[in-house]
Amino acid sequence: MSDIIFELKDVQYSYLGKFPALCGVDMTIRSGEKIAVIGANGTGKSTLLQLLDGLIFPQNGHMTAFGERLLEHSHADEKAAHRFRRRVGLVFQNADIQLFCPSVREDIAFGPLQLGVAEKEVNRRIIEVAQVLDIQHLLDRVPHQLSIGEKRRVAIASVLAIDPDVYLFDEPTAGLDPLTVRHIIDFIVKANQRGKTIITATHDLHIIGEIADTVYVFGRNKRIVRGGSSESVLNDRLLLETNNLVHIHRHHHDGMEHVHQHLPLEPHD
Amino acid sequence: MRNKLHKRRDFIERSTLSALAFLKDATFAEEYANCKGFLQSLDPRFKTITFLLFLITAVSLKSAVLIGSLYGVCLTLALLSSIPVAHFLTRTLLFIPLFSLTIVLPTLFSVVTPGEPVWSFHCLGIHGVITRPGLDGALLFVVRIATSVSLIVLLSITTRHSELLKVLRVFGIPQIFVLTVSMCYRYLFLFATMVENIFTAVKSRVGILSHRQHGQQVVAWNIANTWNRTTQMSEEVYMAMLSRGYTGEPRLLSEFQATPKDWVWLVCAVILCAGLFYKGYTL
Repeated sequence: MSDIIFELKDVQYSYLGKFPALCGVDMTIRSGEKIAVIGANGTGKSTLLQLLDGLIFPQNGHMTAFGERLLEHSHADEKAAHRFRRRVGLVFQNADIQLFCPSVREDIAFGPLQLGVAEKEVNRRIIEVAQVLDIQHLLDRVPHQLSIGEKRRVAIASVLAIDPDVYLFDEPTAGLDPLTVRHIIDFIVKANQRGKTIITATHDLHIIGEIADTVYVFGRNKRIVRGGSSESVLNDRLLLETNNLVHIHRHHHDGMEHVHQHLPLEPHD
Repeated sequence: MRNKLHKRRDFIERSTLSALAFLKDATFAEEYANCKGFLQSLDPRFKTITFLLFLITAVSLKSAVLIGSLYGVCLTLALLSSIPVAHFLTRTLLFIPLFSLTIVLPTLFSVVTPGEPVWSFHCLGIHGVITRPGLDGALLFVVRIATSVSLIVLLSITTRHSELLKVLRVFGIPQIFVLTVSMCYRYLFLFATMVENIFTAVKSRVGILSHRQHGQQVVAWNIANTWNRTTQMSEEVYMAMLSRGYTGEPRLLSEFQATPKDWVWLVCAVILCAGLFYKGYTL
């Protein structure tokens, strides 16, 4: 039981009290797990990540993080909030939101500085994470001058500098070129090998085999419709079809147009 | 005729896009700040303090020659900092003295500044006399303005704007204020680009020619849309700050490190200003 990090029981959340985003989610996440949350747009994946990061709190249901109930008033205490922030880091989908400082260096330093890390140590971490993500040449650049891929890597660096136990990724590979996608997948895999817990929200099914051992599928009803090993979920054609997750594409064979769908783990014929 | 109509019709769009382009150019061009040069190598704190000192000297001195010599120092510094002189002079001398000349024009004449006549003329039945004190006063004013503006321009183009903002902390400005201004600076570009993209999207759908009234509607819609998106984004940015441990009292990186070169520069600047003040006092 002690290795349980997050436990959610019938968790519900709605925006402005009338737009439901999560309608009864049950989930248990253990230390060192590699989890993917998949689902079509608007099924509540990002909301779940914000809940797990303690940015919003369940309106109904029960949620614990590191053995303690996650409540809004518990985060009002600065020490408790910092204790939580040191252990959980969220990489937002839109890097422009995450990179709010006037330079890359300051963005990377922001997290550790707020969490009370000494400036000398912060400077050491900046160099270290810049090397890990190969962004040394970007440190003195302003974020708005960077490409989307560079921004995404800097956003990851800004969380890596905190060195949390749990990484939450919201669509980490959306809109990126193949090489940057490769770098990010490698980063996620290595972080997990170092014992970090990884939770990724995505609808890019092709990367799931590498970044997740366990997959939760969110349905239109904003609930988990299925949870299981990545292999079993990705091979369930009916489940993926029902939840709008099957890859459909059109191409030419011998001068004839051919439209078909295929599953991520299925060989392409 | 068609061209005139076209120009009038997309007046709002052109004005908005030109204003945005100017804003981006003026605020985000860090071409010279990233060059290798003397001023770029100085600690921004020392650079700002010494330029402030130069500025105080320029506005306090009462001799155009002495202020002119400070202008000479400014030009030398520009040269040492890899700033193309032609670009620098165009930016500082072309319009500013013209504007200041317009302001001081009446003071040239004996009606405003009586004294020894230098030149008199008759124009449209009016007898005008330019006096020496008027001429001296106008020259002093124009040289002072040109020098002050040149110093400010030189400081701003050789220093990254993010560093200039951080220097504010040296003057006791609270960190939260510096952080807020820095974030405004950061997102200004994003929203400027967003507004440009909206204009391009509208143009791609309705073409270049659009009625003036329609143009106004597009601008109004643009303002409302940008407002909505900024509000939404500000909430998300706040969440991103919370996510990284922000609790209301920001801590920022203090990257500045003074070197012996900075101290030598400070001493030289103080000696120069003291010398100019002394010379001005003894004149």
